[in-house]
Amino acid sequence: MAPDDHSNSKQQGIDLPAPTSAPFVCAFGVTLIFSGIVTNWAVSILGFVLALVGAIRWWHEVLPDNQKECIPFQSERPIVKPKVGGVAHLMTADSPHRARLPMEIHPYGAGIKGGIAGGIVMAIIAGTWGVVSHGSVWYPVNILGSTILPTMQGDDAAQLAQWHTASFVFGILIHAIMSSLVGLLYGIILPMVPHFRLAFSAIAIPLMWTGLTWASLEVINPLLQNEINWLVFIGSQVGFGITCWFVVSRSERIGTMQNWSMLERIGVESPNVPPIGGDE
Amino acid sequence: MTALDHSGNPLRAKATFLGRMHEWVSTADHKKLGVMYVTTGLLFFLIGGLEATMMRWQLAVPDSSLLSPSDFNRLFTMHGTTMVFLVGMPILLGVANYIIPMQIGARDLAFPRLNAFGFWLFLFGGLLLYFSYFGAQGLYGMGSSPDVGWFAYAPLTERTYSRGHSTDYWILGLLVSSFGSIATGINLITTILTMRCPGMTLMKMPVMVWVMLIDAILIMIAMPPLAAAQVMLLFDRLMGAHFFDVQGGGSAILWQNLFWFFGHPEVYILILPAFAYVSEIIPVFCRKVIFGYPLMVAATVSIGFISLGVWVHHLFALGLSPMVNTIFMGSTMLIAIPTGLKMFNWVGTMIGGKIRFDTPMLFSTGFLALFLIGGLTGVMLSVVPFDWQVSDSYFVVGHFHYVLFGGLVFAIFAAIYYWFPKVTGKMLSETLGKWQFWLLFIGFNLTFGPMHVSGMLGMPRRIYTYHADRGWELWNMLSSIGVLVQIAGVTFFVWNVIQSLRKGKDAGADPWDGWTLEWATTSPPPEYNFEEIPKVYSCRPLWDLKHPEDPDWKYE
Repeated sequence: MAPDDHSNSKQQGIDLPAPTSAPFVCAFGVTLIFSGIVTNWAVSILGFVLALVGAIRWWHEVLPDNQKECIPFQSERPIVKPKVGGVAHLMTADSPHRARLPMEIHPYGAGIKGGIAGGIVMAIIAGTWGVVSHGSVWYPVNILGSTILPTMQGDDAAQLAQWHTASFVFGILIHAIMSSLVGLLYGIILPMVPHFRLAFSAIAIPLMWTGLTWASLEVINPLLQNEINWLVFIGSQVGFGITCWFVVSRSERIGTMQNWSMLERIGVESPNVPPIGGDE
Repeated sequence: MTALDHSGNPLRAKATFLGRMHEWVSTADHKKLGVMYVTTGLLFFLIGGLEATMMRWQLAVPDSSLLSPSDFNRLFTMHGTTMVFLVGMPILLGVANYIIPMQIGARDLAFPRLNAFGFWLFLFGGLLLYFSYFGAQGLYGMGSSPDVGWFAYAPLTERTYSRGHSTDYWILGLLVSSFGSIATGINLITTILTMRCPGMTLMKMPVMVWVMLIDAILIMIAMPPLAAAQVMLLFDRLMGAHFFDVQGGGSAILWQNLFWFFGHPEVYILILPAFAYVSEIIPVFCRKVIFGYPLMVAATVSIGFISLGVWVHHLFALGLSPMVNTIFMGSTMLIAIPTGLKMFNWVGTMIGGKIRFDTPMLFSTGFLALFLIGGLTGVMLSVVPFDWQVSDSYFVVGHFHYVLFGGLVFAIFAAIYYWFPKVTGKMLSETLGKWQFWLLFIGFNLTFGPMHVSGMLGMPRRIYTYHADRGWELWNMLSSIGVLVQIAGVTFFVWNVIQSLRKGKDAGADPWDGWTLEWATTSPPPEYNFEEIPKVYSCRPLWDLKHPEDPDWKYE
């Protein structure tokens, strides 16, 4: 603790700015100036006078010296006492002080890989359903592509079973992007789930996603809703979840750098910088 | 010889009511001003809530005639204006006023009198706005309070469409009030940059101080364009100028750009302090250091920066060029990245922590859940075609209430439960607090969740009634029932405050076992905050003092 520069010489109190009504008067005056615009010019004049009085008083209080009052010390002086007994720390070999949880995470790349793998499984399930129910592997791809191709939105089931180049390109593109991003999200979220990660991936998330899609699709794209088999939809989501979980959980975990210094984080290598991990 | 009270403090003559009033009116103490800011904000919260209740009452059933269309217009205008300018702003400035000087080990803000001036301007501005109920009618007989929406779009604000003085009161009230916010913004920036105690380098500041620094900078950047636009509008209305008068060669789009150049950063001005509160509360109640402090700081700075470049997403339905729409769609999506980082860092702080679900932590957890939903619907709205589909519908109303009520108001209640013991020396009741939380959480979701559905079913916002054949009845009824549950929650809060002030449990200096400097002084703190200016060595100075065998500073 350092001695205070502002306390008075006898150390019986602290000098603080003296109470003043000048800001109140000045602010009231300013408000009246503006109020006069919608009431009467006399109100503005009164406001101007009050604002001026407040301002002059204010200047007198700060010039040439700040007016202060001495606040006597309270007798009650809080002391921050050391706690009895130490705190149990989770320590690790490469942590100089205490481990900061989570210590390790899955690399983001694992999430994207998991997403791509899950997307492939999802496509296989959907394609199989297309073949079984409509005799065409292109059917589910066309349903997806038709969400952004206005020309296809009036197509019937027979037309949707045909090959459409544009629909194929856009359908695959949408599926690849969505799968990668959702996989990335899995990769980030999974380390944060304390227990039952498989159930979280394979049941909770697919059901929540299906519920959200089911509830909003009627408004966003009614045509698409009519074409979807919701059981197969859930099945493909479960397939995605299990695959993504498998890929992500198999990946090698990496440290979170929480114990690293800023220089270490930005990759500065110098004799003066301690080695990675913060060991002294 | 000085007489002493039972605590050994110098005895002051018992003040009369007028004496006490004078003490509060003439104070330049940051703590008293902070209390006045927050109290005023909470009173306006009750008024704004009453306005919302009346609107929900009207919309509960189809073809209701409880309110006239013009009354409904006035209510949603005053509700929006009140909640943004007279509730959100004063409470965030009030909490910053009270807590920031103590967290940086200072005795007051840099300009105490300017601080008082800022508060009084805010209060008088708010009163001027509400005086419109009595004064705006004037001799014109053209209606009382403003009815042009909280964003006051041109050309509806021009004299042709808005006779009388109601819009003038809106302009003048907010103008005066915004001068006060700018004054406090200057004060916060100066205080944080120049008055930190010895040892508190920028990277040893609590996260809250960082956030409020960025917030104050945003206030300084965003408020002046609004003030300028309001002066231009005043010129249009009173002096025959044509800035926003399309028929006279002006541009209504100019108003939209100027307003939202203020308006969108304003959303971040409001929500950043919420981030600040939970960033203080979550680590203390999880007994862990905040996860990724440097990243939290970087994310805060990024949000502040990017928030200045997203305002055009409020103008997507205007018919701007695809290039402009695409750029602002991108920037709007971009801001989700630092915001998402913060979410992950808060969750990261909770992981492996020894979590105590006291009321401040409950509200903070509620904030995380609700703000996440508001953030995700925000990302949905950033997609231009989706925005076109639901623009000006109840989906948008649901979205921004999840951000500003689920986000900001839940965080404000977390902050009140967390710092109330410091301010008053009394603990708020945990039982009543938990009742309040669950009623508010359930009521909130019941009110604003269905709005997403009614919005997607095509219900436009700002309509005063609707016919029974639209499929909106159920959702509106649910929303209105939710308001009743919320009112019950707020009643628990009011009762809790009254009871706790009267006979609450003594808090002691440090009831939560906190780590920042405000917990190093008495509750309530003396006027000078600290007898000796503290010296700090780490982000958690009180941890260092409480655990000399295991201080943070050795490893930071």
